[in-house]
Amino acid sequence: MPAIKVRALPARLVRMVEDLRRKEDRLSLLLSLVIGALVGLVVVAFILLTGRLAALMFPTGAAGWRRIVIPVLGSLVTGYLLFKYFPLARGSGIPQTRAALFIHDGRISLRSVAGKFVTTCLALASGIPLGREGPAVYIGAGLASTIARRLGLSRAQVRSLVPVGGAAALSAAFNTPIAAVLFSLEEIVGDLHAPVLGSIVLASATAWLVLHLVLGDTPLFHVPGYHLVSPAELGAYVVLGIVGGLCSVAFVKLLLWLRARFAKLPTASLWIQPVVGGLTVGIFGYFFPQVLGVGYDQIERVLNGDVILKTVAILAVLKIISTSVAYASGNAGGVFGPTLFIGAMVGAAVGAVAHLIFPESTAGPGAYAVVGMGTAFAGVIRAPLTSVIMIFEVTRDYTIIVPLMIANLIAFYISQKLQKRPIYEALAQQDGLHLPTRAVPEPARLLLVSAATREAPQALNPEMTIAEAEERVKDSVLESWPVSDDLGLVGMVRTRHIAAAVKQGRLDMTITRLMQIAKRSASDTSVDMPHVHNDQPLSRALARMKDNGFKVLPVVSRANGRIMLGIVTFEDILEAYGVERVEQLDYTDHPDL
Amino acid sequence: MRNMRTPLVQPAAPTPAASVSEFIATFAIILAAIVGLLLFDTALARVDATGRKATAAREFDTGQRLVAQGRIEPGIEHLRAATTLDGENSAYGVALAQATLAEGRPDAAEQMLLPLLERDETDGAVNLAMARVLAKEGRIDQAKSSYHRAIYGRWPPGAEKTRTEARFELIDLLAKANARQELLAELLPIQDDSTNDGAQRKRIAHLFVVAGQPSRAVTIYREILRRDSRDADAYVGLAEAALSLGDFATARADLLAAQKLSPADSISLQSRMILTDSVIGLDPTQPGLSLNEQARRSRNLLQMTVSSARRCLAAQAPQVAAALDSATALVTSVGAVTAPSIVQNISLAEQIWGLRRSRCEAEREDGALALVHNRITQ
Repeated sequence: MPAIKVRALPARLVRMVEDLRRKEDRLSLLLSLVIGALVGLVVVAFILLTGRLAALMFPTGAAGWRRIVIPVLGSLVTGYLLFKYFPLARGSGIPQTRAALFIHDGRISLRSVAGKFVTTCLALASGIPLGREGPAVYIGAGLASTIARRLGLSRAQVRSLVPVGGAAALSAAFNTPIAAVLFSLEEIVGDLHAPVLGSIVLASATAWLVLHLVLGDTPLFHVPGYHLVSPAELGAYVVLGIVGGLCSVAFVKLLLWLRARFAKLPTASLWIQPVVGGLTVGIFGYFFPQVLGVGYDQIERVLNGDVILKTVAILAVLKIISTSVAYASGNAGGVFGPTLFIGAMVGAAVGAVAHLIFPESTAGPGAYAVVGMGTAFAGVIRAPLTSVIMIFEVTRDYTIIVPLMIANLIAFYISQKLQKRPIYEALAQQDGLHLPTRAVPEPARLLLVSAATREAPQALNPEMTIAEAEERVKDSVLESWPVSDDLGLVGMVRTRHIAAAVKQGRLDMTITRLMQIAKRSASDTSVDMPHVHNDQPLSRALARMKDNGFKVLPVVSRANGRIMLGIVTFEDILEAYGVERVEQLDYTDHPDL
Repeated sequence: MRNMRTPLVQPAAPTPAASVSEFIATFAIILAAIVGLLLFDTALARVDATGRKATAAREFDTGQRLVAQGRIEPGIEHLRAATTLDGENSAYGVALAQATLAEGRPDAAEQMLLPLLERDETDGAVNLAMARVLAKEGRIDQAKSSYHRAIYGRWPPGAEKTRTEARFELIDLLAKANARQELLAELLPIQDDSTNDGAQRKRIAHLFVVAGQPSRAVTIYREILRRDSRDADAYVGLAEAALSLGDFATARADLLAAQKLSPADSISLQSRMILTDSVIGLDPTQPGLSLNEQARRSRNLLQMTVSSARRCLAAQAPQVAAALDSATALVTSVGAVTAPSIVQNISLAEQIWGLRRSRCEAEREDGALALVHNRITQ
């Protein structure tokens, strides 16, 4: 980093920078814009360079042997680079991004980013049938991580910027700003309500703007406006959902199985393993050139109805096999793009059959190819919300959205039933990593306040004297006691405050007065009447106890906050979590303990 | 399972706190990188676009050449490549759709044209291609709309000829569909458009005959003959118009004139002459015929009309056909030749012909018979 003397900088600038660094929100917004622009430009360069390189490797009218030799050579070169210099750049990039986020405080090295860029570019240009979106996400997240660390931000800030970079990359790679936001939240962060939402949206929008500035306003796929021809056609889309779900499961299982087999091979063979993928792709590509590369051209053809049933069916099968082998053998590239390819081919095949049988009441195969992409995405990636929005964005076709949602849900359900773990989670697990999952909520979260609510004791009256109140609470272990008037609950009073008043001999003082004195205390917020509701999680009750210092909280009605339904105590919460049972274990049978 | 090839775990290094100067320097580097990348990307995008367009143009030329040679399938592959490389050029998409149509896949061709129409629904060439697809699929009404959008749509400069071709394709479609009123509506605006193009004038004149307006055709043919009295085709056309008008003698005279001017075409002219002669020989309303001859011709006309009608009516309603035969036998068996019996024969023939036309519309009409009935109706 170049050394700039602080003394050489204008004092005003220094103050501005220091002010900016102190105000995290402002800095975060500024960085979102900067990361969005930088990542967008890097991803555009990545796409263009891959395209130009592919055009050089496979010029028009080139001999057929190139389709075998180039994928083999490409996988050999990238295999060596990955083995020797960039071991982190293998595969998709999304599990790696999640690992960086959840294990390494968002740290991704610039070297692995550069490695991902170079190796993926080479691999995809040489015809390896993997996707560019996963690597782009890793590149974006890595750039965000690098910038944040270079700026000396805190670990928390570095972590929060990783999904921001990922969203910006996906937005530019796929031309889908909304889906990028959803994907980043749904798949990378695993929480749709994450506090980084604003930054993610800003970065995604900026990257999208950059993409449009350089490449113009062109959707990823040009698709004619398809629509549901008849309500009965939904039946065909249901079939597509089922077939799409089954194909997704087949694809994921085959990929994971092959990856496990390759993992058992000697480590010394790591550099040559990708060639197995390259050779498989080359052989397939010799007979069916459409299998080579990302395959978006072929998807576009199919989406536009250029469908021959036999061809699309064969391409779906070949793509499943070639992508699985290429990925499992350790080539650089993701499964995002191939998933769409497989979905489009499967959809077109189902659509062609449906149109053959019911030509009057079904749309052309192109419509089914659109929906098929969504089903495969929902089945493989398991991000159903993202998949609907993504298909809408890549095709800019709203009219097919209802069949898309139905088919997606079916595929998602089938995939969930037959393949327990989503692909990225399963890949991380194969690598020995246990990253947080959004599919299984923590059991504790399911515990609600109602599980620990007990009957409230007879409330104190605000006009009651300290002597009368002391008489009522003296035998109780409750830390606080509810106070109610004729209209209902007015607050909580601490039993230790009553005891203190008794000790000071102020027996005639009213509870109202005692509560007013407590109100003046800056640390006591009992006058705000902290409370919980029966349907809130117990964790909320714990948090509220921590905030207010009460160990007893009133449980009140949502319809009227002054109607007390019961109370919840700290001990009750512990018991609901099972802590109490552990404490009550009988040790008599275990004298050694 | 631990996969050593992807060492996702890397040591987490503590993040060093940067000084203000480092912070500013990093920001400056990032901004410089953004500017540099913007310039690089823009240049790269230009190179990419130029390269893609050039390759697309080559692919397009190769594809067009192959299609023109009748090698549709490899031609389609090249056109597809051109479309993929330069999707903005609608000419590539149109060529691909037309080749796909030629391959016998109108469904796919239609799907290819839809996005182009969505992009620009006024594009004349795309609409013309879509009209051809729809016509091939037998969706005549939609095809007519597409032809209209092609005719009145946007064409590149110098494409007037193609626009006219589109109109003539529509006219041919209307003629095939026997939509006479619409055909006439299309012909009237172009009646005077091409006064110097003799071939096109003759084509228009012929279409006026098809549209049921032979007198307009006669006017055009006469005008052509005024300019070039040795135009044999114009005489043939004039004969066709005269036949439609029921002026069979004039038609014969025109055909003879054509035969004199173009003896090489005598075979085709001979067949027309035979048709004209048979019409003249069949028509019972020719002036100067004896009563007996009129009666003979009227019976002949009735019998020919019945046998023509029977060909379709017998299949549709056998009892009607049998009744027709009985009625005809009764009428034609009357021995005495009288003017009312001749009128009765002609009238009955006319009624049966009308029945035949209404019930057997799709049937090909007998040429001579149709011409005689046409004249009688007039």
